[in-house]
Amino acid sequence: MAIAPHSLPRRTEIELRAVSQSYPCGNKGSKTVLSKLNLKVGAGEFVVVLGETGCGKSTLLRLILGQEFPTEGAIEVDGKPVTSIDARCGYVPQKYSLFPDRTVLGNVMYGPENAKCRFLARFRPSFFAYRRQLRAEAQAYLVRMGLRPQDMDKYPHQLSGGMQQRVAIAQALLMHPPVLLLDEAFSALDPSTRASLQEQLKAVWLESKPTVIFVTHNTSEALLLGTRLILLGRHREDRAGETNLLLDLEIPSSQLPHSARVKSREFQELLEHVKGLAYKFSSLCADDADPDSNTDSNVEEGALG
Amino acid sequence: MAQSFRVSDLTGIQVRPARLWTHSLSWILFVAGIALYAHFSILRHRENPEDRVIPSVTQLVQGLKSSVLEPAEEDDPLDPGASLIQQVRHSMIWKDTASSARRFFIALLLLVPAILIGLHMAVFPYAGAFFLRFVLFFDKIVALSLLPILFVVFGIDEWSKIMLMVIGVAPTLMLDSYNIASGVPKEQIVKAFTLKSSNLDVAYRIVLKQVLPQLINSVRLNLKPLALFLFAGEMIASTDGLAYRIAIMRRHMGMDIIIPYLLWVALLLFTLDALLRFTNRRLHPWYQPH
Repeated sequence: MAIAPHSLPRRTEIELRAVSQSYPCGNKGSKTVLSKLNLKVGAGEFVVVLGETGCGKSTLLRLILGQEFPTEGAIEVDGKPVTSIDARCGYVPQKYSLFPDRTVLGNVMYGPENAKCRFLARFRPSFFAYRRQLRAEAQAYLVRMGLRPQDMDKYPHQLSGGMQQRVAIAQALLMHPPVLLLDEAFSALDPSTRASLQEQLKAVWLESKPTVIFVTHNTSEALLLGTRLILLGRHREDRAGETNLLLDLEIPSSQLPHSARVKSREFQELLEHVKGLAYKFSSLCADDADPDSNTDSNVEEGALG
Repeated sequence: MAQSFRVSDLTGIQVRPARLWTHSLSWILFVAGIALYAHFSILRHRENPEDRVIPSVTQLVQGLKSSVLEPAEEDDPLDPGASLIQQVRHSMIWKDTASSARRFFIALLLLVPAILIGLHMAVFPYAGAFFLRFVLFFDKIVALSLLPILFVVFGIDEWSKIMLMVIGVAPTLMLDSYNIASGVPKEQIVKAFTLKSSNLDVAYRIVLKQVLPQLINSVRLNLKPLALFLFAGEMIASTDGLAYRIAIMRRHMGMDIIIPYLLWVALLLFTLDALLRFTNRRLHPWYQPH
């Protein structure tokens, strides 16, 4: 048995057609979180989903992943409807991403071992040879993600939050998934760790170009990482509080290196614009104020213009 | 530098007692218990030197000696030239311990499927739907009230006593196992599926492995109920066993035997508990109790 070569992952397209998602809400019937959402994500895109807390970003991710099913509409990954948790997707949640009973290496090697052979096949001599190769590959991945060799045999609780997330990303990436879903994966990290992980994630994406959907509520992170930005929020006249797609734009100069990108005037202008937009929607959602302010179509025009 | 002890520390929440204090405090109640016992024993023996309700130290030593070195009344007497090992192996306490331990461990073994059912209830929604309501109801049935039925179904020999223990503890263990396994974060299960795990992989290699330390703790906490049902069964219908002997001795007011037996049972359970704790720590160095 040999490890599969580092081929580029197969390109995958994600499509959501008029997807709505509601949850039962006590005696009040149900609460609609997403409403008739249409979205098409091209293969190899790095889509960043931005929005305030509770607007349905994570719900969107769970729907694509197959952890939940929409109450209305359809979701397809690579032209096939999502009917269960899709093993083609790599997943990095905000927390609980590592198995506490396995060491760092054990966590990272778990997926490829599973993918290679079932339980009984693990007693064959060829599996041990495969495991040795896999171990070397996993170690290389972890070093690349910024872990030291002495951290490899530690358990997750012995690592800092940043280290844990590095391992979680390595765990997902070692499977070479065509789709990578990250749910506020960096939100609990300090700024320097966060910046370092952002760079590493971007580098990995530039190298193998999987389709990435990255959920965050950090505007600058969204603009730094993504090639495309999606802003989810509630329209001001929508008193039921249903989430819609408010903004969908290509992020310019996304291929530039991190540092060059941050310094560009274009980036700074866009950052200010999106921040203002996100703030505007947040405040509208919070207090339902000023009936004469811009409608969502005006906002979209402004944003895209 | 360690702070010196102040009286107000006794009611403090944020204080950290020194090692010497911790050890000394932990033995105070043992010493007080022994002192209290000795006091009342001396009082009663002043009134009646033959008192058997609170035996003196001499009586206790005599009782312990006869338990450990002499065969039970119902057994044949041992050859006077028998070695110490032979004497112990044919002693009353050895015979009773072996009988009770056999029942105890068979019941413990039969409880393993109960733990697995609880796990399945938590992981597989259809298993949960199938079992949960019934187990919740069954848990409320007082197991001892089933004893007549158990005698009819399993006879008055070993299996009725073993089944009493199993039926008494299994629902609690199932529910405990269900609750513990339900506490595994959903993210872990989703993550495992994205890492190409099968359903059984998730159940046994992700959830069971993660909750095993808590399940062992649950078994530890259920050792006493298990012993309680064992004692109930042995006291009602048995011809040997630790509880049988206590029941027989109670008729003769044989506290000189009963007290060493009680302490022996407590020691056995304490040792088993300590062994499980030790095993848990050794097998699961990653486990961080909350």
